[in-house]
Amino acid sequence: MSREVTLIIDGREVSATEGEMLHDAAKRGDVEIPVFCYEPKLGDPVGACRMCLVEIEGIPKLQTSCSTPVRDGMVVHTRTEQVKHAQSAVVEFLLVNHPLDCPVCDKGGECPLQDISMGWGPGKSRMTDQKRHFEKPIELSPLVAIDRERCILCYRCVRFSQEISEDSQLQLLERGDRTFVGTFDDRPYVDPFHGNITDLCPVGALTSYTYRFRARPWDIEQAGSVCTLCPSQCNVSFTVRDEQVKRVIARDNPDVDDGWLCDRGRYGFEMFAAEERVSEPRLRGGAVNWDEALAKAAAALKAGGAETAAIVGDASNEEGYLVQRVLREALGSPHVESRVSHGPSRNTMLRLAQPELSARVRDIDDADAILVVGSDPLHSSPILDLRIRKAMRRNGAKLVVATDRPTTLDGGAAAIVRYAPREASAFLAGLAADVGTPSSLATRRSDAEVLTPDAPSSSRAKRSEGVPTSAEVLSNAERVVVIWGERIAREGEEAIGTLLGIAEALDLAGKEGSGLLEIPDLTNARGLREAGCLPDAGPGLTETKSMLSPSQGSNMPLVGKGTEEIREGLESGELTTLLLFGVDPLRDFPDTPAWQRALAAADHLIVFSTFENATTKMADVVFPLETHAEKDGTVTHPDGRLQRVRPSASRPGDIRPNWGVLAELSQTLGHDTGVTSQPSAFAALAEAVPFYAGITDADIAGRGVRWQDRDAAASLPVPESAVPERAAGAGSPGTPRDSEPGDPVPGAHPASSSLTLGTYRDLWAGPITELNPPLKFLQPRQRVELSLSDAKRLNVSSGDEVDVSQNGTTVRAHVSIRERIEPGVCFLIEGTAEDNANGLLNGSPVSVTIEKTAG
Amino acid sequence: MADFPVDQAVSEGRVPERSPELVPELHEVECPPELREQIETLIGRYPDRHSVSIPALWAVQRLYGWCTPEGIRQAAAVMRVTPAYLESVASFYDLLHTEPVGSHKVAVCTNISCWMRGGDELLDAFRAAAEGREDLFVTGFECLGACDIAPMASIDERYFGPLETAEAHTAIDQLLAGENVLPEKSLEKRPLAGDSDA
Amino acid sequence: MPETRVLLEHAEDPALREIEGYKRYGGYATLEKAYREMEADVILKELEDSGLRGRGGAGFSMGKKASFLPRGEMAKYLCCNADESEPGAFKDRELMQRNPHQLIEGIAIAAIAAGAGHAFIFIRGEYDAQADILDAAVAEAYEAGYLGKDILGSRRDLELVVHRGAGAYICGEETALLDALEGKRGNPRLKPPFPAVQGLYGGPTLINNVETLSNVPRIVAHGAEWFRGFGTEQSPGTKVVSVSGGVRRSGNYEVELGIPTRELIYDLAGGPLEGREVKAFYPGGSSSPVLTPAELDLPYSFEAMAEAGSMLGSGSIIVADDSVSIPHMALRTARFYHHESCGKCTPCREGTNWTVKMLERVVRGEATPMDLDIISSVQDNIMGHCLCVLGDSMAMPVSAMVKKFRPEFEDVIASAAEASPIAAVQGVPETLGAAR
Ligand SMILES: Cc1cc2nc3c(=O)[nH]c(=O)nc-3n(C[C@H](O)[C@H](O)[C@H](O)COP(=O)(O)O)c2cc1C
Ligand code: SF4
Ligand code: FES
Repeated sequence: MSREVTLIIDGREVSATEGEMLHDAAKRGDVEIPVFCYEPKLGDPVGACRMCLVEIEGIPKLQTSCSTPVRDGMVVHTRTEQVKHAQSAVVEFLLVNHPLDCPVCDKGGECPLQDISMGWGPGKSRMTDQKRHFEKPIELSPLVAIDRERCILCYRCVRFSQEISEDSQLQLLERGDRTFVGTFDDRPYVDPFHGNITDLCPVGALTSYTYRFRARPWDIEQAGSVCTLCPSQCNVSFTVRDEQVKRVIARDNPDVDDGWLCDRGRYGFEMFAAEERVSEPRLRGGAVNWDEALAKAAAALKAGGAETAAIVGDASNEEGYLVQRVLREALGSPHVESRVSHGPSRNTMLRLAQPELSARVRDIDDADAILVVGSDPLHSSPILDLRIRKAMRRNGAKLVVATDRPTTLDGGAAAIVRYAPREASAFLAGLAADVGTPSSLATRRSDAEVLTPDAPSSSRAKRSEGVPTSAEVLSNAERVVVIWGERIAREGEEAIGTLLGIAEALDLAGKEGSGLLEIPDLTNARGLREAGCLPDAGPGLTETKSMLSPSQGSNMPLVGKGTEEIREGLESGELTTLLLFGVDPLRDFPDTPAWQRALAAADHLIVFSTFENATTKMADVVFPLETHAEKDGTVTHPDGRLQRVRPSASRPGDIRPNWGVLAELSQTLGHDTGVTSQPSAFAALAEAVPFYAGITDADIAGRGVRWQDRDAAASLPVPESAVPERAAGAGSPGTPRDSEPGDPVPGAHPASSSLTLGTYRDLWAGPITELNPPLKFLQPRQRVELSLSDAKRLNVSSGDEVDVSQNGTTVRAHVSIRERIEPGVCFLIEGTAEDNANGLLNGSPVSVTIEKTAG
Repeated sequence: MADFPVDQAVSEGRVPERSPELVPELHEVECPPELREQIETLIGRYPDRHSVSIPALWAVQRLYGWCTPEGIRQAAAVMRVTPAYLESVASFYDLLHTEPVGSHKVAVCTNISCWMRGGDELLDAFRAAAEGREDLFVTGFECLGACDIAPMASIDERYFGPLETAEAHTAIDQLLAGENVLPEKSLEKRPLAGDSDA
Repeated sequence: MPETRVLLEHAEDPALREIEGYKRYGGYATLEKAYREMEADVILKELEDSGLRGRGGAGFSMGKKASFLPRGEMAKYLCCNADESEPGAFKDRELMQRNPHQLIEGIAIAAIAAGAGHAFIFIRGEYDAQADILDAAVAEAYEAGYLGKDILGSRRDLELVVHRGAGAYICGEETALLDALEGKRGNPRLKPPFPAVQGLYGGPTLINNVETLSNVPRIVAHGAEWFRGFGTEQSPGTKVVSVSGGVRRSGNYEVELGIPTRELIYDLAGGPLEGREVKAFYPGGSSSPVLTPAELDLPYSFEAMAEAGSMLGSGSIIVADDSVSIPHMALRTARFYHHESCGKCTPCREGTNWTVKMLERVVRGEATPMDLDIISSVQDNIMGHCLCVLGDSMAMPVSAMVKKFRPEFEDVIASAAEASPIAAVQGVPETLGAAR
């Protein structure tokens, strides 16, 4: 495809790929050409700053090397008199309006303008006139300050807003040298990705309030790690001073994050030192020393024995692996989970894990079609939202969005399907039927509720001429990536069976660059499942019988309880002891009242937690957890990439590495895990998970390694029934295959007094906005989103306070009317500090009534 | 070097005084039906709806006298773009006003040819004549493409010239009185240069 | 020496504005012929053979540019550049105002040659009266079946939209025009890709000036040879020339290219005002380097102007008589480009700004002769380094003025300094770190 070419730069032969930009080729040939506006991450070059002018033989005028593709035999000069003259002219021009306040500028010492002025500038400026003045610095957002006098109008930040996050809030205003960067009506720039502009700005014009005046380049260190605040697992670099994190910046990894971070990962670090941080072991009476806490916990676990259950959440692979060993090996209990609600069985997990069916993040870039189903990436894996936008923008990928709640990706989608909450399986069944039997395309069953992306009016559902159905989009594409939310599985195992059937029908396994990519609920879900934190599968997704240690005899049941069963078991007394590792069921799991009862019923509750929360308040023993800035361990990305979280900052208080705590606990319980260090923990894991076999720290290095790309991948167990469940569920009862365009969303109740409740986990709901002061302004108040027609019918308007009730349980919320919400449904946020929607969920479809509060 | 002062506001967290402005939904703006209709008709004329940004802003300016933030939001809701996008476009162009201006607009050319023939003095004369009068916006302007009638002015989008400074007063009186402005100086009426006997 | 009115033929008749009047003089006959019996290639060849050069400034062969558009079924576009905003230019205004249908017919025929199904006239927002006239004329043409779907039963379609700008000279630059038409800020794009390959909405696009397109009907009607009968070998045809500034009868004059410049200024435009003499003139709009009276006898053609180190540009002559101060004129010129610079690229944005500041100091007497060297050097630093040629359009005339009239600049500094003694003190340079 792409040909290798050879060119000559400054007398040296450099080889490059045809079509590559001259600047990049030169860089690889160790020739540095200065740039300001050029940033390949932002898309096509714009050639605006003119810093990179070079001489190309045969072309009379100097050319911008950032935008000139290399050609074979090209002869390029970057240091001739003509070029030097141009470069120093451009530097001089840039300084015409740039203040000389480097000594008090936060960018000082790591400023491209400073560096380039030194290297390529004229030395001194001949400019004696007034520079332009702006009020400075002013608040661009509560997180970012803008100093417009320093801005050199390279447009990186506004291009980010237009072309990467596509929020279009940040714009250029005015013209010529009066141009400045700003927002509409001086509103704050609030967008989940906006912090990236501070990384992009080549001068000190855009700086983070969280870092202003905190450190200087010479007294900081950079430490590379992985952000584990969500399943995206972006690569980060911590700026550390006095062993404390002062800043988080992106550490480009095209296989994971493309060099971007969301604002959660970027600004969610002050909580590391929050008052609410659990920084030492605690018993009910208060802080205790480690020995006491370990003894108490061991005693509790011993008492619980096989009636103990564990649920693991925010944990490394090694931690998860050790928790399940404590349960299975030391206590003889099979009840290990790592999911917030129902999930598929081991066999389905195995089918999903087949390497040829698994898409890599990078595959999104080249996909011809992308299906997003059952998840809004913006909220559940933000960085994928940017990735999908990139695929559409740069590669023309066709997107199908199938969700209950409108997403921000709808605008660019080729087809949109809206189903009622908990009816993803109905959509999947219809799609399976459509893609399974090409002749049925004409019936367009799956798109009964298709919306044209261009008509987001509340008058739903009339498919307009020429808009393709989702089945058409997917069937007509060569490379298809299906991004699906783990939530679908809450509707039952068949839903995942149907998804696999669709994958089969589309031949995702057989087509290079195609596959499935999950957006799980928890950050290291894949790693924990593979490390054995599943009730019916041990490390490496092996059958649990192989886990039996001889000393436990053979009376251990093979399959443990799942999340809801654990809850019920605690309530019924079947289980007595619960170990929670990095999960907070009272906030994050559906059905809060039931969990409240379950935790209260437990004889012993041992909680490993980073922060105090409602769950730790009920615990008998609380152990502190490390954050991703402190932890040493591996995690596995949803696409199978093992990445390493590296300790970058010191642990506050009396926190110990958790692998050590777990190993010691096991020891105290009389079972030696043989784990004596983090490397030995990883070695034990890699030995226990056959398809991780042989992976070393060096393999993981800075960029991680996908286990599917290694030979050991072949040792993944073969699923029992790999027979495709062709069009699974197609005939099963309750699938709304017969609905016609214009019909109400299946399961919704338009015109009745109750609405079907949908819930979603908002990006900003949770401790992140409660414990990081700079992010506090983003903390969501509960709001109920509903359609204009329902609002009219219920006589409520935006901002009204209402009670959203079902069966006696009530959540208070503010009304938010949204054009693109279907009549008959409404949405609440899960995980809010108060009025958490999880309180209304009970595992079945929920109808709610909405009433204005008195007064 | 001594420690830098930590930005105190940060430890407490900043709270924005106003909300960000994303793409407004139609029910959130009170878009006059005729404005919405105009913009929707325009959208039908172009292969891409973004193309209507200038015409839509013209429509807003015609309705409100200038591109008011509210008007921009209304147009943005119909076009389904951010108001920021439209403000960015509006602020690029000299004829679109993002600050309040009088609804009668007088632009006096001060570019080369007009300057040679007294454009600066004409602008001063218009400014003086407009002094204290409401609803008028007088501004100097770059070449309006009518150097043949230098010095000239564009008065409510019609060209007049060559003008004597004394005519500024008359023009403004006529304009505010709703009369025909300087009929004999209208560009409309001028013959081709080669056909005039001047 | 009389005019040679081809484009302006019958222009004195106000009825020409209406379709009936236009047709009475034979209008739309060529379009009908083109639709009925001419292949795109035949039209294209005629245009190429005619040697018609673009009248918008660059003087590039129109036929050749049209031939660069790829063949095939993709959506292609035609844009008529009616942004006419360069100081000194007002000829497109005249053509649109007096003969809008000639332009529409030219667009329709050129669209056949280019294979375009959608055409736009991008007219500067200030030309509101002319845009109204075009709107009315376009409506008439639709009514008569010369625009729209299945034109004259040819199964060819052409939609034509009059798109008003909103006041920005840069939108006359062809790629900025495209961005503006796409609803963005009018910033020029990086070239390549050229519009002919990837233009409006990413499709192949032909962009031509009003006058260029107005020439098309007659060339196709009478043939390339007929057209070549006017003008010079390298500059065939007639040209509507805008003459303004220090002359008695400023206005538009249509002449054969290649006539002596003196005839335009003296015979047609009546020469300098009472008691004045020509001191300098811009031969092709404000971006052309000024020429001196010694160059008055040069033929008014693309090639002769280029040879003299200037350019014919859009064909607009601005005459400065001996009452005009050249440093002040340089400042006016620079101010215009500073005001109009879009701000996208560094040398133009900052160079125009800096130049204005220095020239302001010159006329205030706050400069030294060394500043004149800096001014010249800044012009050198702009030239050839910008994204589009707006920066050069200031640098060329300003540097020509400093070079050709340097003593006058020095005099102006000295006498202004004398008039205002404090002015002699130079602007105090900003000290390091002064900004807090
Ligand atoms: C800053 C700038 C302004 C321009 N303004 C105009 C203009 O107003 N009208 C015009 O026809 N061409 C203008 N041009 C030239 C156009 O870029 C383009 O060359 C022309 O429209 C092509 O048409 P033509 O080949 O028929 O001349 C301008 C160029 C530049 C760089
Ligand atoms: S604020 Fe920074 S990134 Fe944005 S245009 Fe200015 S210099 Fe570039
Ligand atoms: S200089 Fe005034 S109209 Fe041109």
